[in-house]
Amino acid sequence: MSEHIEKRERREQRAPVVIVVEDEKLIRRFVRTSLEEEGCRVFEAGTLAEGLIEAGLQKPNLVVLDLGLPDGNGIDFIRDLRGWSDAPILVLSARTNEKDKIQALDVGADDYLTKPFGVGELRARARALLRRQSRGGEGASPVVVFGEVQVDLARRVVTRSGEPVHLTPIEYRLLCVLIANTGKVITQRHLLRDVWGPASVESNHYLRVYVGHLRQKLEKDPTQPEYILTETGVGYRFQT
Amino acid sequence: MSSGFAGGIIMKLLSRQGNHWLSSLPDWQRFALALLACAGTTLIATPLLAYLDLANIVMLFLLTVLLVAVSLGLAPALLAAFASVAMFDFFFVPPRFSFEVHNAQYLVTFVVMLAVAIITGQLTAGLRRQADDSDTEAQRSRALYEMARELSGVLMVEQVAEITRNFLRRVLNADAIILLPDSNGRLLPCSGQDVARLQIEPRLAIMAFDGGAPVECPQLANSGYAVLYLPMRSPMRVRGVIAVAPIDALAEPLLDERERLETMASLAAIAVERIHYVDVAQHTQVQVVSERLRSSILSAISHDLRTPLTALVGLADSLTLSKPALSEIAQETAGAIRDQAERLAGLVGNLLDMARLHAGDINLQKEWQPIEEVIGASIKLLGRGLAEHPVKVTLASDLPLVEFDAVLIERVFCNLLENSAKYSPPNTSIGIDVQARDGRLEVAVTDSGQGFASQGGKDKALFEMFVRGEAESARPGVGLGLAICSAIIEAHAGTIAASNRPQGGACVSFTLPLGEPPLIEEEVLPLADERVP
Repeated sequence: MSEHIEKRERREQRAPVVIVVEDEKLIRRFVRTSLEEEGCRVFEAGTLAEGLIEAGLQKPNLVVLDLGLPDGNGIDFIRDLRGWSDAPILVLSARTNEKDKIQALDVGADDYLTKPFGVGELRARARALLRRQSRGGEGASPVVVFGEVQVDLARRVVTRSGEPVHLTPIEYRLLCVLIANTGKVITQRHLLRDVWGPASVESNHYLRVYVGHLRQKLEKDPTQPEYILTETGVGYRFQT
Repeated sequence: MSSGFAGGIIMKLLSRQGNHWLSSLPDWQRFALALLACAGTTLIATPLLAYLDLANIVMLFLLTVLLVAVSLGLAPALLAAFASVAMFDFFFVPPRFSFEVHNAQYLVTFVVMLAVAIITGQLTAGLRRQADDSDTEAQRSRALYEMARELSGVLMVEQVAEITRNFLRRVLNADAIILLPDSNGRLLPCSGQDVARLQIEPRLAIMAFDGGAPVECPQLANSGYAVLYLPMRSPMRVRGVIAVAPIDALAEPLLDERERLETMASLAAIAVERIHYVDVAQHTQVQVVSERLRSSILSAISHDLRTPLTALVGLADSLTLSKPALSEIAQETAGAIRDQAERLAGLVGNLLDMARLHAGDINLQKEWQPIEEVIGASIKLLGRGLAEHPVKVTLASDLPLVEFDAVLIERVFCNLLENSAKYSPPNTSIGIDVQARDGRLEVAVTDSGQGFASQGGKDKALFEMFVRGEAESARPGVGLGLAICSAIIEAHAGTIAASNRPQGGACVSFTLPLGEPPLIEEEVLPLADERVP
């Protein structure tokens, strides 16, 4: 029994710290329990001001943030936090307006969940973001594998079921940007800027066509992609 | 020069009110006055005969004739001339008290006096006519100015029509009807006018409206038709047509006043245009206010409804996953609560969507994109809801990019897929077929259920709100899904229709117009070192 407790304590010390900024107590409660089951230490904040204080005290590994809080705009919170912290931010949004999501992502949020959401989804997103964070420091492996596809970033070689896949330079650059942002939502603007350069941020149709090419070459069923996912109206998400 | 000067003096004399009543007397009184004037001169001159030469006496008579001509007109002046000659001859020229004339040179006196009478009389008459004309002119200009002033305050087109009619009736003894184009461009009399008053020849009105120039047709005057069709030209465009008809069936005086009438028409046009822009501004303002109100109400409702639903879904979901695991029954219950709450959330979403779509102007965020992307996203979004219904997507090769609002079209696919899953037995597949034909993208979503009950799906009512394929059903839903699809597709200028497939199952198909997609520049050939071996 004591062994058990010891084990748990050891785990808690290394456990990632999560701050949940949300004004609705019941939502906070289930977010807390589900993240605790993921092995996180969770701190709660009911307002943006509390959230900022907690973030300063706890040095979180992840911030879960509701955009519509009574004491201010979540966008300002993200800007504030980004001034001194790289902790990934998962936005909870009750709004269906895509502009709010894009804005949150553009000022530094990493992912979003639209209310209502299931526990499974929440945990998957949180896991992905925490994994990104923990991996960030060490030199990431130069070989990325998803499904039957293997991408050797060092040698610039892409294979599918062992067969080489030919990518054009733009397709390859796009794939690299997607891989570099695994588990995050990347806005169209962001992708266009990184792949085509800052002059092309309005040419959304290029992005869509090239994402289509990549899916053709890498996905099993390009019409129902498993790895290069569309976040309609917002951007794309690459997940392995 | 001197005649101009004399004319000026005479004009001044004429313009006095006093002279007006003299010249407006009945004829016989004017002639009597002329004779009286001559008699008076004779009376005055008789005692002076002792002191004055005959030549100067004649001057007195000449003055009389001049004054009569100026004040009473040409005919009394002629009478005065004859009377003066007669009286001068009779009372003053020796032998006195007889009409005999010994000295032939008095004939010259007579002729001069007659000539003075005629010339002065005619000159006066002409000047009087001119004075009268300029009087009318001034009066009409004043009326036009008054009309402009009245028009500057009006707020309704009916008032413009009324003021225009009053002006015409008062100043030109004419009647008019204002014709304004309706939303289809047809010229119709503006409301509040008694249309039966005068007949209108529509073709002439259309000619005036399209040509932007007045059209006249004096031949119509006797038949009660409008003879003059004036385009109402405003700075922006022709706003309508004023059809003018003389009340006394005389077209000429009207047509002589064409310039003034054109001025009148443009005054009316400017008033109509001003009213139009006032309306537009008001409308826009009201729209902006109601738009803001609507979206703030909707987002408040959306927030207030979704927050408890989020808690409900999350809490129930965390119960099913809690450790140690609940008993099987409790797990099932928690799962059911979660599913119902999710469905409720979906319903709320649909209701809010419908409220947004139905509120009128949908703000489409159109972008050029491949349709398959949004299909994939919808299938992914439905996730667990499609677990028992594999979706088979069939795309024609080389589909062009289509311009649409991805978020809204995603809603269409989600609703259609959800419907298909709901109304078809488990473990049957759903099909999505896409092809481009006749300038349109055609998308069909098919399932293997029992199809639509009413009229084989041809029933247009299916796409109305709160209408369901089967009236009383154990299947949940309120009949908003297809109504939302239809509103979205219509906003994209597409069409949507439902039918039953011959081999069984329902088919909902919609089209989106294909345009000219932007060019995608071909990428330069990959460099050797970037090409993957």
